[in-house]
Amino acid sequence: MNNEQSLIYNQLFEIKGGNFIDAGSASVNVKKTLKLIGIPSEIIYRVSICCYEAEMNIIMYAYRATLDFSITPDKVVLKFNDEGPGIKDIELAMKEGYSTATSEMREMGFGAGMGLPNIKMNSDEFYIESEENKGTKLFIGIFIDRKPNNHDKSGEIT
Amino acid sequence: MKMTIEEIVKILDCTKLTRDEDLFVRDISLCFASDLMSDVLRFGKAETLLLTGITNNQVLQVAEIMDLKGIVFVRGKKPDENIIKKAEERKLPLLTTNKSLFDTCGILYQNGLREGVKI
Repeated sequence: MNNEQSLIYNQLFEIKGGNFIDAGSASVNVKKTLKLIGIPSEIIYRVSICCYEAEMNIIMYAYRATLDFSITPDKVVLKFNDEGPGIKDIELAMKEGYSTATSEMREMGFGAGMGLPNIKMNSDEFYIESEENKGTKLFIGIFIDRKPNNHDKSGEIT
Repeated sequence: MKMTIEEIVKILDCTKLTRDEDLFVRDISLCFASDLMSDVLRFGKAETLLLTGITNNQVLQVAEIMDLKGIVFVRGKKPDENIIKKAEERKLPLLTTNKSLFDTCGILYQNGLREGVKI
């Protein structure tokens, strides 16, 4: 990870689990910032989808979380760190269609088991770590200059 | 094939829920139909017209994330006033039709519109 890369922008958001009224507002803010900075629209679109899917996962499952959003000259990075029940089986959660959503979540149009696979599909770098009854860390990187994605590199979150 | 939202209002016999008339001149060429927001995010393309029966706040957030050009609520569904107000602020035209999702899609398809889908 390019920790030494110069930052163009950095913002920290707090997301509350169960707060369905404001759900999605961090992602809408992220999108506005990317537009203002003049990031290409194709990149904005992919970042927004990843951000919103991850934000909705937190709203639906976690207690609270932080989102560390940053932009460097070559990529947009979203780091989600939540306190929550964690994911028991990440491999299973990565399968399209697998979901532990409640009927309330499904009534809202979510919980189809598409979230994590969709984040992976739209990102270039995707790392997930989870500990049961503790929480989940998610690292999402999207290259601004559209280098091919890096999914085979399964690394630790630093 | 393109048509304006105003033309869609006529062929689907819609009621306009938002007031800004300037937004109804928007051209539409692609649509996506789903009641599952997860599927809109996964399979829908940006800048489409969404046909749905879901009327909660998340439809608006998904519209913002996906740069949707407008929303047609089917089966006579109507979101509450707060959502309509927010859509007006965000310049998102909202319509409602009494037709079913199946008929709505069929009529738009027959008139030349196609699905904005990514597989």
